Amino acid sequence: MKAVLQAKGLCKTYIVNKRQNNVLKNIDLTVSEGEMIAVMGPSGSGKSTLLYCVSGLDRATAGEVLFDGRETAGLSDKELARLRLDEMGFIFQQMYMMKNLSVLDNIILPAVKSGKHTESRRQTEARGRSLMHRLGIADIGEHDINEVSGGQLQRACICRSMINSPRMIFADEPTGALNRSSSDEVMNELLSLNRDGTTILCVTHDPKVAAKCSRVLYIVDGSIVGEKKLGHFEGTDSELRGRERDLNNWLLEQGW
Amino acid sequence: MFLRILKKDLKRKRTMNMILLLFVVLCTVFAAAGMKNIIAVTSGLNYYFDKAGMADYYVISRNIGGEDEAGVLLEKNRNVKECHSEQVIFASSDSVSTDGENEIQFGVSLLCDISDCKLSFFDMQDRIINDIEKGTVYLTGGLPLRDSVEAGQHFTVRLGDTELTLKVAGFAKDALLGSEMMGNPRFLLNSEDFRTLYEDDTVRKYSIGHVFYISTDDADALESELTDAAGIMLSCDNSMIRTSYIMYMLVAVIVLIISIGLMIVAFVVLRFTIGFTIAEEFREIGVMKAVGLPNGMIRSLYLVKYLGIAVIGAVIGFFVSIPFSRLLMKSVSSNMVLGSEHGTAIGLLCCAAVVLMILLFSWGSTRKIRKLSPIDAVRSGQTGERFRRHSLLRLGRSRLGCTNFLALNDVLSEIRQYGVLTLIFTICASLVMVLAVTADTLRSKSILYLFSVTESDAYLSDSGRFMDIMAGMKTIPEANKEIETILSENGMPASVYMEGWYKLPISANGKRIQICFMKCSDTKTTDYEYTAGSAPLSPDEIAVTDIVAEKLNVGIGDHVTAKIEGEQREFLITALFQTLDNFGACARLHEDVSIPDYLVSSTAAFQIIFDDEPDSAVISERIETLRDILDTKDVLDTEGYVKDITGVGETIKTAKNLVLILTLIIIVLLSVLMERSFISKEKTGIALMKATGFSSSSVILHHTLRFGIISLASIVLSAALFLPLTKLVIDPIFGIMGATGHIRYLIKAREIFGLYPTVIVAVTVLSAAATALYTKKIKACDTASIE
Repeated sequence: MKAVLQAKGLCKTYIVNKRQNNVLKNIDLTVSEGEMIAVMGPSGSGKSTLLYCVSGLDRATAGEVLFDGRETAGLSDKELARLRLDEMGFIFQQMYMMKNLSVLDNIILPAVKSGKHTESRRQTEARGRSLMHRLGIADIGEHDINEVSGGQLQRACICRSMINSPRMIFADEPTGALNRSSSDEVMNELLSLNRDGTTILCVTHDPKVAAKCSRVLYIVDGSIVGEKKLGHFEGTDSELRGRERDLNNWLLEQGW
Repeated sequence: MFLRILKKDLKRKRTMNMILLLFVVLCTVFAAAGMKNIIAVTSGLNYYFDKAGMADYYVISRNIGGEDEAGVLLEKNRNVKECHSEQVIFASSDSVSTDGENEIQFGVSLLCDISDCKLSFFDMQDRIINDIEKGTVYLTGGLPLRDSVEAGQHFTVRLGDTELTLKVAGFAKDALLGSEMMGNPRFLLNSEDFRTLYEDDTVRKYSIGHVFYISTDDADALESELTDAAGIMLSCDNSMIRTSYIMYMLVAVIVLIISIGLMIVAFVVLRFTIGFTIAEEFREIGVMKAVGLPNGMIRSLYLVKYLGIAVIGAVIGFFVSIPFSRLLMKSVSSNMVLGSEHGTAIGLLCCAAVVLMILLFSWGSTRKIRKLSPIDAVRSGQTGERFRRHSLLRLGRSRLGCTNFLALNDVLSEIRQYGVLTLIFTICASLVMVLAVTADTLRSKSILYLFSVTESDAYLSDSGRFMDIMAGMKTIPEANKEIETILSENGMPASVYMEGWYKLPISANGKRIQICFMKCSDTKTTDYEYTAGSAPLSPDEIAVTDIVAEKLNVGIGDHVTAKIEGEQREFLITALFQTLDNFGACARLHEDVSIPDYLVSSTAAFQIIFDDEPDSAVISERIETLRDILDTKDVLDTEGYVKDITGVGETIKTAKNLVLILTLIIIVLLSVLMERSFISKEKTGIALMKATGFSSSSVILHHTLRFGIISLASIVLSAALFLPLTKLVIDPIFGIMGATGHIRYLIKAREIFGLYPTVIVAVTVLSAAATALYTKKIKACDTASIE
């Protein structure tokens, strides 16, 4: 499989009150096309920082990141923004959306900004509605973001991340603020996207979420200390239970 | 614990707290300066006239043949309760020459002995002038005189055979003749210097007169009885003098409106800012409730914080308000003594009021604390309830670019927040436009018709020749001929003519008043504008102003009687007109009416029409040549003449510039502070935009465009409103001055619809853009760290 994302010798250091804090230490990572990877680890281990550095939301202190073969460190802020707009999708734990836009407008905003798809606004809107329909939230398009539930909003965020048909989706605790049933629904949608070929890198605390991914990375104190290959998840309950058991045992070994 | 939370809050929310502090300072400055000015302006003329010791009625008379006819008449008049007089010497600008480059140009001036003056005069620091050193002089009068003379400059007064060199000690404020509309400067002299001039025989024969300050209960009766006295140059009551300050009061009222506007701006902004900051605290309030802090303690935490900010801001604001108040009043106080004995106390009271208002706002805004639950901490204050559609536009159906759409949608979605800003900008821009139109009108030839003067190529104001005519030494045709000869000898053949103004009594329906009769033998009555009827076509026809018609209860078709040289003459009213001359108390006589020139009490300028009909460039050259030949600056073109006679046009222009500067200051402050608070509020949105692929420049553009939209909206509103506003505010003032009909305002489209809107929009956009640069500090990855 072709590598979509590669990180080599990635370091991230913060200096707070003249004290150096090495959040990421010499990380090497390769994400192949079509993979769905979970990044796990204790709080403060650097999971989210890794996600931000590899996705271009933040710049690494040292090391290199190649996205689709392009070195991102050399890109200007504007070029990075363009790369995020056209090639990446983001899902955050808090369902951030622009407060003065309806749910549908929030979803199509990146597409209108990008112009990647040569289409009219109405066609963009139709594509947004189609994505919403696929994720089961077709009826909330005209709603304000405060009028819908957390689960619906997170699915809207997934739609937004999908609108520009990105090469890769970065998800930071996508189910962190959701109850179990909403969490399952959101993960099923992400799995469905992955099955359609979208590469996903997902930071999570939840073994149930990680168990659905094809590979799990365990990060402690800014270094990847373990990797568990689970293979493609077919979607049956019995398979999920088995993957969860395996993963939990492995996590216990990692000191979870 | 309480103090620790407070300390942490002040430190962590430094930016918003600083913004709030700045708004408190701003509010206090505006409130304290505004209130001081409001009290100064509302007590305005009363305060000034009381301080100066003004009377009920005033007469300025000139001795005719050594006789003081007015003095004799006043002495035995039953309507005079008390009468004080001071001796004056009349002088024209011909009698004065300077040592400097600038020539002093003025109308007829009055030389007074300071020790004999019955009125208090004030220096520029509003101190009463009691003594004047020998060999020095204080000058009163408007800006033109002050522009041409400097303190310390020497000049020589030559009257008769006596010559006196005087040094300008400074400028003085004169309550009676100090307004531009009265137009007569005074030279305040030491007693010895005055005597030196007075002892000259020619001076005693031709140039002596008196100013009378009279106490009376019946000014109208006194005016009526004084109409027969010869040599009276001014006879008017207090109300007329007050009216002569109308333009200063207009400026003062503008200052008052600005002050009230600034106070409203400050309180509205403060109310919003406190509302915003409390709304931002929902999360923390929820957390504090969750850990068990009682409502009272949470509320007092915020109240103590706002009290602290309010007190610090009010103290700083109080000190800043002192110079700011002076700046606001500067354009008004150059000719008037405005003020209040209790300025400091008013300032302190305003500071206390601001603190109290802030506490009230905070109290009101923190009422919600009771209703908030720990759940609000989780939901960041969002209850999920919303019954109003928030977003108004639809991105999918819009043709606007993404950033433009977001900016417009934000403005329309938060209409209350942006509407307040739009309203404030509209008020400021409209005020600038109203003043600009007024100043332009008062300084342009478009207003010439309001002075009952026909347009000519050049205008010569020559006080020496005027005085010769008034003294009976020359007739108007002789003076005209003299000037025509000079022009002809210098290769500029021209016709010269002049309006004569005669103060005479007019009566009808048993009412008798003294008005100004206008007559020019060299123009036709049909050359002038009338508001109703048709121009007088024979010597027994007359046009009167609406004001005269109203006072005498007459109209077109009625008869009035005028007493000319002791002879009662009857005229038929054929037309009504409006004029700013003599506060509108005027009548126009037919050109063939016979009236001796020595009865002339005042005149318009000598008007010159060149025979060869030269273009404007040649006229300008000739005006320059004439200034050299006649050794005077008072040869003017039409616009210069209008500026000269209105005088206040420059004052209004100064006020307009002050308002423009204040408007720009307000715009900069509001744009910077509001944008900074928006950034603080919208950190999440900004980070999200960046995360989803918006570049920093797009975000800056988004934020800047919102202010661009606001400023454009306010400019459009101002452009629609300024003319009705001008008519509403300025028309009545013209009405008081005599122009009771329709006023044709001069709208300089390039200035009104081009210059000011561009400046206002540019300043708004630049201020917002400069502040929006701060969004660069918010990174895409901040989506995770923002609460």
